[in-house]
Amino acid sequence: MCGIIGYIGFRDAKEILVDSLKRLEYRGYDSAGIAIIDKKQQLFKDIGEIDEIKKNLPDFKGTIGIGHTRWATHGGVTKENAHPHLSSNKKIAVVHNGIIENFTKLRDNLKKKGYKFLSQTDTEVIAQLIEDNYTGNLEKAVFSALKKVEGYYAIVVTCTDEPDKIVGARKDSPLVIGVGDNENYLASDVTAFLKYTNRVVYLNDGELCIISNKEIRIFDEKNIPIERKENLIKWDLKDAEKSGFPHFMLKEIYDQPETVHHVIRGRISEIYRTIEFNEKVENLLKNGINSINIIACGTSYYAGLIGKYLVEKLTGIPVNVELSSEYRYFGTRNESSLVIAVTQSGETLDTLAALKEAKNSGCKTLVVTNVVGSTATRISDAYILTQSGPEIGVAATKTFTSQILVLFLLALKISIIKNKIGADELYKYILQLKELPRNVRQILNQSKKISGIASKLKNANSVFFIGRGLNYPLSLEGALKLKEISYIHAEGFAAGELKHGPFALLTKTTPVVVIVTKDSTYAKMIANIGEVKARGPQVIAIAEDSDTEIDKHADFVLPFPSNSGLLSCVPITVILQLLAYHVANLRECSIDKPRNLAKSVTVE
Amino acid sequence: MKCVILAAGEGKRMHPLTFTRPKVMIPIANKPILEWNLINAIDAGIKEFIFIVSYKSEMVRNYFKNGKNWNVKIEYISQGEPLGTAHAIGTAEKFVDNFLVLSGDTIFGKQDIKKIVEKENSMGLYKIQNAEEYGIVKIKGNKIVKIFEKMQDPFSNDINAGIYHFNKKIFNYIKKTKKSLRGEYEITDSINMMAEDGAFEGIFLKEWRDVVYPWHLLDANEEILKKIDNKTEQTVEKNITIKGKVIVGKNTTIKSGSYLEGPVVIGDNCKIGPNCYIRPYTSIGNNCHIGNACEVKNSIILDNSNIPHQNYVGDSIIGQNCNLGAGSKVANLRLDKKNIWVIQNGNKINTRRRKLGIITGDNVQTGINSMINVGAILGDNCFIGPGAVVNGEIMPKSKIL
Repeated sequence: MCGIIGYIGFRDAKEILVDSLKRLEYRGYDSAGIAIIDKKQQLFKDIGEIDEIKKNLPDFKGTIGIGHTRWATHGGVTKENAHPHLSSNKKIAVVHNGIIENFTKLRDNLKKKGYKFLSQTDTEVIAQLIEDNYTGNLEKAVFSALKKVEGYYAIVVTCTDEPDKIVGARKDSPLVIGVGDNENYLASDVTAFLKYTNRVVYLNDGELCIISNKEIRIFDEKNIPIERKENLIKWDLKDAEKSGFPHFMLKEIYDQPETVHHVIRGRISEIYRTIEFNEKVENLLKNGINSINIIACGTSYYAGLIGKYLVEKLTGIPVNVELSSEYRYFGTRNESSLVIAVTQSGETLDTLAALKEAKNSGCKTLVVTNVVGSTATRISDAYILTQSGPEIGVAATKTFTSQILVLFLLALKISIIKNKIGADELYKYILQLKELPRNVRQILNQSKKISGIASKLKNANSVFFIGRGLNYPLSLEGALKLKEISYIHAEGFAAGELKHGPFALLTKTTPVVVIVTKDSTYAKMIANIGEVKARGPQVIAIAEDSDTEIDKHADFVLPFPSNSGLLSCVPITVILQLLAYHVANLRECSIDKPRNLAKSVTVE
Repeated sequence: MKCVILAAGEGKRMHPLTFTRPKVMIPIANKPILEWNLINAIDAGIKEFIFIVSYKSEMVRNYFKNGKNWNVKIEYISQGEPLGTAHAIGTAEKFVDNFLVLSGDTIFGKQDIKKIVEKENSMGLYKIQNAEEYGIVKIKGNKIVKIFEKMQDPFSNDINAGIYHFNKKIFNYIKKTKKSLRGEYEITDSINMMAEDGAFEGIFLKEWRDVVYPWHLLDANEEILKKIDNKTEQTVEKNITIKGKVIVGKNTTIKSGSYLEGPVVIGDNCKIGPNCYIRPYTSIGNNCHIGNACEVKNSIILDNSNIPHQNYVGDSIIGQNCNLGAGSKVANLRLDKKNIWVIQNGNKINTRRRKLGIITGDNVQTGINSMINVGAILGDNCFIGPGAVVNGEIMPKSKIL
């Protein structure tokens, strides 16, 4: 997730920008750059660490400038693609976070007008477009340019002809103003300038702002001036990277309404009622697929298991899910099957090895990952990005839900290609997808209640999670989350399997978390709860909010919205994450760095 | 001439009072230290101020705003990082020509400020008995030779008072200043360089009061209260005794049987009495309640705090929004009459005071009949249970039951 900073005031802009970029490092980045105005735009950008870039930075003078840390999503990691980008006349500098969806069309038009492009980025198009609309007033030019742009963005712009102002605008990407004395700041998050001021003004979607060293002006989409009050940030710098949350994991759980939105955005087309991936992925899927192998480790493996249910249900194609470390030695390789590797980091060694094995045996390979430019994206035939932003907590949260969603979109795409789904049914799923961020938010609002139930689990020696169908892999994931961060022994079982062994372990002091949806197995699940209750343990049910029956059977109920259909797996996951988090928090565990675990496992 | 006031410091040695406010916002005689500074500088003829702020700067800003209430102009500069006095002063470069610098946590007299204003490139000096806590200045005639860091056995009693008059040249020296041993850019190092290159004058001050530790506030409070005039806007019931000079704020009611010995200052909207005894050198903030059978002596009570029923508070500082339970009492004298030591931030410090009660942060509550021993420091948001006996340093948010 890119980081943006703009500064105008009396201090040395270079120092402020470099310092702020350093503060934005935690967001993850592969390249960075700054542009400071001193009569002309002084530009410096490069790939690599801020500290390295800083060493080579020329001694730019000036008290107005912009800076950027880039986390590549479109276009490779190169010096040219790093921000800021200048317009052709070198007067206008732009930093940008987001994606311009119609940038090819805009670029072609601008090329016809004679504009020359130095990079592959959509950001450069914005710079040129602003120049094209410039008639002596920067905010007017930005306003006109943005009218032509489709997509989402936060941008910060300077122009050498007007060295007394910075213009910022946002749509769906964050941008916040830091209010100082004789100076002002613009950044993608408060961390960037918190050292200098804790007074902020938040920009809303579609708004544009002009900041000078004395003044802040905000305009809405219709160019009508807006008055907005300052807010005071209460947390200090060390909390800032976590946006005020006590742990990265909790912050990342709370990121999910946004990350869920990110996965879907640009990939579903309501008008054409279809799902869109990039060309390589589409080509790969168009070649008749008879079977699918999903390979992954840990949490990604559970995402794969959920993917199996989704793909099989929507397409009828058989799916095999295998652990990477097993598949690489023992997996069956069929040239006609598609191998989908799921890996958050794109660097998991076992998965990379399995992927290479699959490739060598002639299978088509597709990678679902969060990191562009990672090894997995380079060795596979095609890749899909989960676009969740960096995940710092070792326990995967937002990347897991994003992986599920990518697999869901894949399943829909394949069923469209195979003509297995009607336009109306597809539309129903599209609406469910669009509803999802709100459903996740509803779960987050229950955090306190979940914390209350967590107190029932915190002293348990062992916890069982059970479910059927989609809820079986969710049970596995729920158990994994709990054990990895709270160190309580936890197991997930298919509910029907309890009587074939696990019952032997069930005692009064083994709480059981039951995931129940109102599908064909509902009655069976109620019976399973009865079996469990007969042996004395407390039952915590995760059930639909329209389920009025469940209260009679379970000791505690955590509801999720009924309207999510197949996608209920996402809100349920969020409940399981919060449950594990609160238990670990009550037990005062090291949540972001559990013992013996690493974020990305690059050893065998 | 503009006056730059250094007001960025957190003041760790002022804990627990600075857990919840910057040092310059601690009130003495019902006005923040910074306001006393401001008033004295205004009296010396200064109209334009720049406050260098950082720690909890919103409290400074909300209180002083743009200076309109004082008929002066106040601007703010955020220091960013606490990198030392030279760094703080350096941030003002673009806003000043010839300018005065005051340490915001030291109170200077207006005549002394005038003298410094008159002499370009000068600094204030003060003679003090125990100089080991301060920077020592070596002078020749009235010229500064060198300013030394604080030392164990100071060779002189002339200390750096923390008031300066610079011209633009100082910024060249600030840029050349290197980090000191304690890792900060010190203005004294910049001045030393400047003094080597040319004349920098020392001027001895008549009045000077700095506050390092909380108990120094009691001395400063006493000093200011000695100068006050009578001024009462209160409702006074019958059978009240007021001796000496007492200031009472708006809407404050003093109820029957109260005995007030000045100098005492009481803020607005307070309820005093009935039947209480308020002794000299006491400052009581706004919205406070001193109730029946309570005795308060030589103490600073911050806004919204209650000493409501059968309490004794002597030589103490009580934070904002505190409440003492019925019968809670404070000890302020060792039975062996020796100096009182306190533990602050884990360090044991000799206060050199024979009488010292307690220092509490904000939002402290004590239960009935709790007893707090001499020199106890209670962090903000502490709970002291009924009948508890409290000693030493209590961390913020603790519960003592």
